Amino acid sequence: MAKEPILSAKDVEIQFSLRGKKLTAIRGCSLDLYEGETLAIVGESGSGKSVFTKTFVGMLDANGTITNGSIMFEGQDLAQYKTEADWLKIRGKKISMVMQDPMTSLNPLKKIGKQIEESIELHQGLKGEAAKKEAIEMLKKVGIPDPERRYNQYPHEFSGGMRQRVVIAIAVACHPQILICDEPTTALDVTIQAQILDLIRSLQSELGMTVIYITHDLGVVANVADRVAVMYAGQIVEYGLVNEIFYDAWHPYTWALLSALPQLGVKGEPLPSIEGTPPNLFNKIVGDAFAPRNKRALAIDFVKEPPFFNVTETHAAKTWYLDPRAPKIEQPGSIQRLRAKMENRG
Amino acid sequence: MFKYTVKRLGQSLLTVLIIATIVFLLLRMLPTDYYFTEDQLMKFTEEQKHDALEAAGLLDPIPTQLLNFYNDILHLDFGVSRRIQNGVPVVKVIGNKFAISMKMGLMAMVVSMVIGIPMGILQAMYKEKLFDAIGTAYTIFVNAVPALVSYSLVLVFGSRVLGLPSMYSTRNPGPSSILPIFCLAMGSIAWYALWMRRYMIDEINKDYIKLARVKGLSTSQIMYRHVLRNAFVPMVQYIPATALLTIGGSLLVERFFSVPGMGPLLTDSINRYDVNVVQTLVILYSTLSILGVFLGDVAMMIVDPRITIAEKGGSR
Repeated sequence: MAKEPILSAKDVEIQFSLRGKKLTAIRGCSLDLYEGETLAIVGESGSGKSVFTKTFVGMLDANGTITNGSIMFEGQDLAQYKTEADWLKIRGKKISMVMQDPMTSLNPLKKIGKQIEESIELHQGLKGEAAKKEAIEMLKKVGIPDPERRYNQYPHEFSGGMRQRVVIAIAVACHPQILICDEPTTALDVTIQAQILDLIRSLQSELGMTVIYITHDLGVVANVADRVAVMYAGQIVEYGLVNEIFYDAWHPYTWALLSALPQLGVKGEPLPSIEGTPPNLFNKIVGDAFAPRNKRALAIDFVKEPPFFNVTETHAAKTWYLDPRAPKIEQPGSIQRLRAKMENRG
Repeated sequence: MFKYTVKRLGQSLLTVLIIATIVFLLLRMLPTDYYFTEDQLMKFTEEQKHDALEAAGLLDPIPTQLLNFYNDILHLDFGVSRRIQNGVPVVKVIGNKFAISMKMGLMAMVVSMVIGIPMGILQAMYKEKLFDAIGTAYTIFVNAVPALVSYSLVLVFGSRVLGLPSMYSTRNPGPSSILPIFCLAMGSIAWYALWMRRYMIDEINKDYIKLARVKGLSTSQIMYRHVLRNAFVPMVQYIPATALLTIGGSLLVERFFSVPGMGPLLTDSINRYDVNVVQTLVILYSTLSILGVFLGDVAMMIVDPRITIAEKGGSR
């Protein structure tokens, strides 16, 4: 991709101090984000996908610090931002975020309209009637019927899906360049999920936003993403265009994730699951973090951490399988079946 | 909401009525001797006593007495004191003391809110810092040390170091009220600080604060526009009740500083079996606390939009 990235994270390392011990939650993550694209970050709970993206808006918990690396955005290194004053120039205005649970993300005692107005007043300098008009406009934009009446209502008068629409309205009220959606549909039921994803997509094209999805739902990924980054134990282990990840994955963890997709299950057979547990991030990890759970791990996986090997210009995986010296390894059957499916479809 | 308010008010009145009835009936079980002063008991013959009781309607059957009692209450006639101040209407006996207690109680309430609420707010904002530690130490001290001990400390410090009068005097009500007011406020300062801190911290940890932050509000804006207001809502429910109860005066403080307030009156009148004073005081105190709860509920309804009671299905 020849385009310049809009945001570029390099070798980010994040540590948390917990009861006197140091936990390295993110172990050297690099990520380029290109303007207008939709990037999905997938991985199981605790892989660090939320923590990683939270640093883009300075929302790390108080006991977490960025100990290494840089996050370049508009010529500034966000990793060096320390004070609230620095972050106020970014948050909401340039980078915004939609949180997971719409039921608790709104102030229960403030009118919906006022909560949207707050960010409009903050970043667009509008006051009073003008701000109110804009807030109603925003409600209309996120597909809330009868916005004039809804403006004066409180969160408890909204359903979960409607609340998430309001949260999205608040997040995009100031036309941020980057919108981070942290599992925006996890708390919603399936029919509403699709609506919310549609809404984010249409807002994205309307406002020209770049969107990062954090999710563990591969169905969502297939639906919305242009590019995918797979995270495991605080590292990105594979990234590529959505087709490349779904049909030509190379990291054994990505394989394991994909073969656990219910859509790929064979009737009558138990659905594959990934055995074992992720490594303890309090300890130093040697070699490939996924090796202990990988039945086909190579000897070197336990000794030396693999670098990224390019599969194509846009696709790379952090596994020794791709090293020319490695023994020939076939992608597992389920991945091959997936590819065959795609090729048949043309 | 109006319907609910009226209903609650009706229930409150009914509760007061029931309390009044029970107290009245219990007090009628006392020997009739207690309707006379010690002097009268010595001098009166049996016949004179009988006549006096009959004249006061005290020999009527209990249901009749009860009906008369209700009728009197409706006309705000609470009878006369027999033993504390013989022949003086109860309303007057209580009235003067009530004024003093109320003045002090209200002052103490203002003081405790003005000090206690900001104290709790600052404690929450600087949680686990020095100020929070001092505030918590104060709260624990006030609650753990017996009141009389802390009052004594205030008394010694106030009179020796600051030279304030240690006894209340009607001729010099201003300066001599300072120490009793402070003692009255001491406990509620701790109460306000404790709960304000707790509710603030509850709110700060909620998810919507994260959204507020990510949308670009500064910490002070978040505190002012979101946390403070929301933390105040659960407090609102209890403020009327505590406010009204301070009016009732404090037995300990008023005894300690010889304030001629209402505090010691209840125990005095019980000790001396002054039936009318006792029953009036009980009605008064129960009315105050029931009113406090009622006002708290109404206030809660006004500040919290989530509460829409009794009108089923009408809110959407």
